[in-house]
Amino acid sequence: MNDIDEQLREIIPRLRRFALSLSRQPSSADDLVQASLERALSSWGEKRPEGDLRAWLFAILYRQFLDAHRRSRRYARMLEFFTGRDDAQPSVERSVVAQSTLEAFDRLPAEQRALLLWVSVEGLSYKEVATILDVPTGTVMSRLSRARQALRQLSDGEITSPSLRILK
Amino acid sequence: MISLPPSERDLHAYIDHQLSESDRRLLETYLSSHPQLAAQVQAWQQDAQQLRAALGGALQQPVNPNLDPTLIRQRLKRQSRRHLASAALLLIALGVGGLSGWQAREMTLASAPLPMTDALQAYRLFAQQGVLPADLEVRGNGAMQAWLDRYFTQAERLPDLREAGFQAVSGRLLSTDQGPAAMVLYEDQGGHRISFYIRPPGPKNYLLPRGSRSDGELQADYWSDSGYNYAMVSPSGSAVAQRLQDTQKF
Repeated sequence: MNDIDEQLREIIPRLRRFALSLSRQPSSADDLVQASLERALSSWGEKRPEGDLRAWLFAILYRQFLDAHRRSRRYARMLEFFTGRDDAQPSVERSVVAQSTLEAFDRLPAEQRALLLWVSVEGLSYKEVATILDVPTGTVMSRLSRARQALRQLSDGEITSPSLRILK
Repeated sequence: MISLPPSERDLHAYIDHQLSESDRRLLETYLSSHPQLAAQVQAWQQDAQQLRAALGGALQQPVNPNLDPTLIRQRLKRQSRRHLASAALLLIALGVGGLSGWQAREMTLASAPLPMTDALQAYRLFAQQGVLPADLEVRGNGAMQAWLDRYFTQAERLPDLREAGFQAVSGRLLSTDQGPAAMVLYEDQGGHRISFYIRPPGPKNYLLPRGSRSDGELQADYWSDSGYNYAMVSPSGSAVAQRLQDTQKF
């Protein structure tokens, strides 16, 4: 048991980050994580598949999020949240640029946010993502491609990346 | 094996390091002679990198004790036991019959949590068991107040307990099902601890009449203003509690 709890403790910050990127509010994000952990722990013996624990928990959390979203709009007005998410930014110039990617990211639909987080940030394989979403790997790839394009479009103009031009 | 020119899927698989070694080299050679495509791939890579950087901070949230797997496990166990107990109580009640059955129902319904249970729980976790480091460590009220004001607007001032020999030493942010909370720990020379706890009244705007209750070895004094619920938690019946009573009116 303790061994499992130790593994879970390591994953919890990642679950919270994922939940936060879905719900965008720290307190309801933590509710989501708590509900998911409860679900995971109470169905541990029968459901837990072989393989990546993180991917399994992401799947549970994502389903909980969708369910909660469908069931009611309670989430929208659930609990006020902290006035500033100011702390802990890596470095100034990096966060200035990243901030706008983050803003673009925040404007994407939930599924695209989840996809980009799983693949680009958490580094899950296409196959793991396919299992989570219960779709073929090819579908994951085309949805990912759409998500990347949407992100690029939204952040275009906001990011001034140095453009390289070949001069002849 | 990928074919050239690469499909868009291959490009994404390249970005996500999901191509085989030989495919990766093949694609890199192709990109080196197709600068426009290379620029597009680079832009996607950059987006991914920036996303990683931007979301890095979200891994550093203050710890939420409600999410500890061991505690959740205990809670689940307690819940299922309580359900069993309720079921048993109803069964007995049905046996005895009508009126008392109704009473039993009332009894099972009345198990709502007592006021500011979370404040006591936080005290036990942090002041007694000392799990997890503090989010802020200071000496005295000034810096602590400034820190608290960042998260709670127009909240009551931190009580000044110097007369009783206590100083604010550490602060922790917590999240509860009623909303974000903070616990400020006071300590005296002898290492005795008292906590000040603040959180919003929750979605149902549950404000508390001024009161106090004891729970095991602890005592909680609680009250509300228009914006928040508060509690002071101290070891009950101790000389410390007495000293506090004498010098302070909550």
